[in-house]
Amino acid sequence: MSLFGTSSGFGTGGTGVFGSTTTDSHNPMKDVEVTSPPDDSISCLAFSPPTMPGNFLIGGSWANDVRCWEVQDNGQTVPKAQQMHTGPVLDACWSDDGSKVFTASCDKTAKMWDLNSNQAIQIAQHDGPIKAIHWIKAPNYSCIMTGSWDKTLKFWDTRSPNPMMSLQMPERCYCADVVYPMAVVATAERGLIVYQLENQPSEFRRIDSPLKHQHRCVAIFKDKQNKPTGFALGSIEGRVAIHYINPPNPAKDNFTFKCHRSNGTNTTTPQDIYAVNAIAFHPVHGTLATVGSDGRFSFWDKDARTKLKTSEQLDQPITACCFNQNGNIFAYASSYDWSKVCDNKSLQLLGQYSCYVCVYARERLLPYDKHLDQCHWAVYCAWTNQKGLPILALMTAA
Amino acid sequence: MGRKKKKQMKPWCWYCNRDFDDEKILIQHQKAKHFKCHICHKKLYTGPGLAIHCMQVHKETIDGVPNAIPGRIDIELEIYGMEGIPEKDMEERRRMLEQKNQGINTMIVSASVSATCLTLTIFLLASGIPPMMPGVPPMIPATPPVMPGMPPGMIPMGGMMPPMMPGVPPGIPPPMGTRPAITHMPQLPPAAGVLPRPAVPAGPSVQPDVTKPLFPSAGQSQQTVSGSPHTPPSTTSDLAKPTFPAYSQSSTGLASPNTGSSTVSKPPSTVTSKPATLTISSATSKLIHPDEDISLEEFRAQLSQYQCSIPRQGQTTSATASVGGMMAPQQHSMRHPIPGQYGGPQQGMPGYIPGRIPPYIQAPPVVPPVYQGAPPRPTIVTRPPVMSPGGHY
Repeated sequence: MSLFGTSSGFGTGGTGVFGSTTTDSHNPMKDVEVTSPPDDSISCLAFSPPTMPGNFLIGGSWANDVRCWEVQDNGQTVPKAQQMHTGPVLDACWSDDGSKVFTASCDKTAKMWDLNSNQAIQIAQHDGPIKAIHWIKAPNYSCIMTGSWDKTLKFWDTRSPNPMMSLQMPERCYCADVVYPMAVVATAERGLIVYQLENQPSEFRRIDSPLKHQHRCVAIFKDKQNKPTGFALGSIEGRVAIHYINPPNPAKDNFTFKCHRSNGTNTTTPQDIYAVNAIAFHPVHGTLATVGSDGRFSFWDKDARTKLKTSEQLDQPITACCFNQNGNIFAYASSYDWSKVCDNKSLQLLGQYSCYVCVYARERLLPYDKHLDQCHWAVYCAWTNQKGLPILALMTAA
Repeated sequence: MGRKKKKQMKPWCWYCNRDFDDEKILIQHQKAKHFKCHICHKKLYTGPGLAIHCMQVHKETIDGVPNAIPGRIDIELEIYGMEGIPEKDMEERRRMLEQKNQGINTMIVSASVSATCLTLTIFLLASGIPPMMPGVPPMIPATPPVMPGMPPGMIPMGGMMPPMMPGVPPGIPPPMGTRPAITHMPQLPPAAGVLPRPAVPAGPSVQPDVTKPLFPSAGQSQQTVSGSPHTPPSTTSDLAKPTFPAYSQSSTGLASPNTGSSTVSKPPSTVTSKPATLTISSATSKLIHPDEDISLEEFRAQLSQYQCSIPRQGQTTSATASVGGMMAPQQHSMRHPIPGQYGGPQQGMPGYIPGRIPPYIQAPPVVPPVYQGAPPRPTIVTRPPVMSPGGHY
């Protein structure tokens, strides 16, 4: 069922950001590294919405904090503020006007962080760690949606301590995405539920999973009219399924593709299959980015069913990613996700691990050119040399 | 469909239980997936052919058919398309198909509801609103035996033909209201009882999709959802159950977490989780994931709690943590990712930091002395003291 062809990987050029090292595998793509990254693995990243000028990036981490940086046009990042929970932060999102950030944590609470006043108040409570949090902006209501390992999906008006609505799920929430009027939640035991959010949230359909392994991440994509029409679902088995909600021909339109595996076509050594940790869709071109435990990120065109590019391998898994509001910045977080370790003993052997958030600046992916049967992309990379001055280089590939 | 001689079933692959529309496609599938040499990628015609090729050309033996489900890997059986399948397996397949069909029939609440949906569909088609019935088109090929009873104009409902209009009973009102349509059901011609199967999955999904938007208005959906029973969505994708029984077995196998977790994921355990895609001949694949079928975050959360007595990071003097640990605020600002090999960035950082701290809550003066002087020596397991004194910064 793998229908993706591959194109050549992307080569990097220009001077490196840092002093030369023997193996620069922590940032092989020479992307801009965000300063003052969190102290522990990063669980989520989100860029500010278009309603706010500038690009602000928030990242939640297993160090119980969520940090906010401003990403400037020259690629420099400026740490702005942070808030704490009493447990690891698992997800974070922005309100539609960009004034508030909502954070969800293992401490079973969700908080609303007002950036202007730098105050955070608790707005939600579950019986288990909250894994997913999203802001819903409907014409007749606005609320926060939280999905938790306590198998419930709750909707909160931030002013009230009780949820507006609580929906029962068959299993623990593993990931969710919201693009009004659609919401998708993927649960444990390969559960998949689509909700519709018009008037009030309600369960629309439970879908048989197109994947055979544990669900890990989900992202909704939109059609040409900018309406949500389907979603991409990633599993721990290095595979992503593209699923449309109401396709004209489900057998043909829905498909899965393999990704984040080692060895390629070399079948003599065992193939390592890595989990897909996050999926993000480019807001303009509709191409999707996947990041995996293998320490790579890849860009794909789901309509042409091709791989656009794959990064070099980082020395750590990539745990989160997101595009900014106009799609010219791609941020990804490199930190350990525990995919290789099973016990405390192995942890000791693990050695150091560290956390980075890299901003893959200013990449512009042009849509697939059907006429020439090629994928054209022009890449503008902005990065700084050792003196901190930006260098712009233009590379085109046909 | 085709002639009755085609064993009355759709072509299916004996090696992996997948269904196909056409025998030709089935054969192509078999050649590409099961009879392809893993060394030179030559496509052979049969299992024994592949074995012989590997022996003669590459001097290698293969012990099973690649990409086959366990129990169907016999390399000696000469199977080509649908020919050569042992009668026993044919019977089994027929029984399975029957069971599946039975199961679907019993899900039907009433034939009249389904027939209403059918006429509703036709009305929608006639009035130009495309109904969205994801479950229906795959069902169409299976229902021809049921079809003959229907008025001829109604048959190609998946085909969306406008000429069906004359065939529609005039008593049915426009499709805007689902309720009135249902109440009119007694007026339908006797064909109402004939088409039990495909319309039911269409039922709950057609009604909500009457209007163009992706979802119905919430009020309507509330009614319809409460009104019609929520049929199991297994019909929406037939791939899930019959064609991949091995997968469902494997997922239940994974679901029972082995709490041993003493070693890193070992190949034998992952073999059970990937029965169908494992190429048995020489390659194996390994899932880089802890053995238990819980998410990485859950796995980690239980570990962190396990270590809650150990300070998560920073100095030994910092308060012992509860879950996740409340670090002394100083920790954040000075804590830096310090992999040994990156001398470059670290030099840049200290100069950076003091200027950056004010936005943070932490107190700036804490930073420099700790940074250069007494480097925090985490004692927790997750951060072994790799940071050698001072200089490596």
